[in-house]
Amino acid sequence: MYNNIVSGVFNMCVQNKISCLRFNFRGVGRSTGSHTSGKGELTDVKACIDFLINDKNIEKIIICGYSYGAAIGCSVVNFSEKIIGYCAISFPWDFMGSKYKKFSQTKKPKLFIQGNRDTIALYENFENHYNFYFEPKKYKIINGADHFYSGFEENVVQEVSEFYNLITK
Amino acid sequence: MHNIDKIFIETNEIKLEAEFFQLKKIVVLICHPHPQFFWV
Repeated sequence: MYNNIVSGVFNMCVQNKISCLRFNFRGVGRSTGSHTSGKGELTDVKACIDFLINDKNIEKIIICGYSYGAAIGCSVVNFSEKIIGYCAISFPWDFMGSKYKKFSQTKKPKLFIQGNRDTIALYENFENHYNFYFEPKKYKIINGADHFYSGFEENVVQEVSEFYNLITK
Repeated sequence: MHNIDKIFIETNEIKLEAEFFQLKKIVVLICHPHPQFFWV
């Protein structure tokens, strides 16, 4: 369940009394099943959304995904009207294939966070991918950060926090 | 002390390990990178 960025965002939410859910995809940690190259994992995110809406009566959901979690998580943005937007941290468009770019298209608010030294979610292609998306959208380039954001966790968390405040006020 | 629930979200197919912190009706759903693609 630990990752420096995911834990940073989760802890920020808890400290600021923001409700949050994090989970392990199928085949990871104590989650059952095995990896399915995306198809099953999209279902995993939908299962979490169903749980929040049907079991917990949650009224609004903001998706925040990092790397693979951005590609998969943000791709279900149109699954429910209760999803009000997403924050994609290092969306690996080139690595994951074009279908996730298409799935994550939406007119809901979006924030893209990108390191300018990222060689997995390629920084040099960021602008091209970003321009594909409808408004409203924002981006933040973290100067000096690669895909793993070591030493830049606070910068990322701050951006996510500001985005939350912006779209929930 | 914050009350974080360690839960499993179950479907007909699988059980997903999760941690849930709820105070309000707005939730941030956080999606991990996948270890298979995250070689650190």
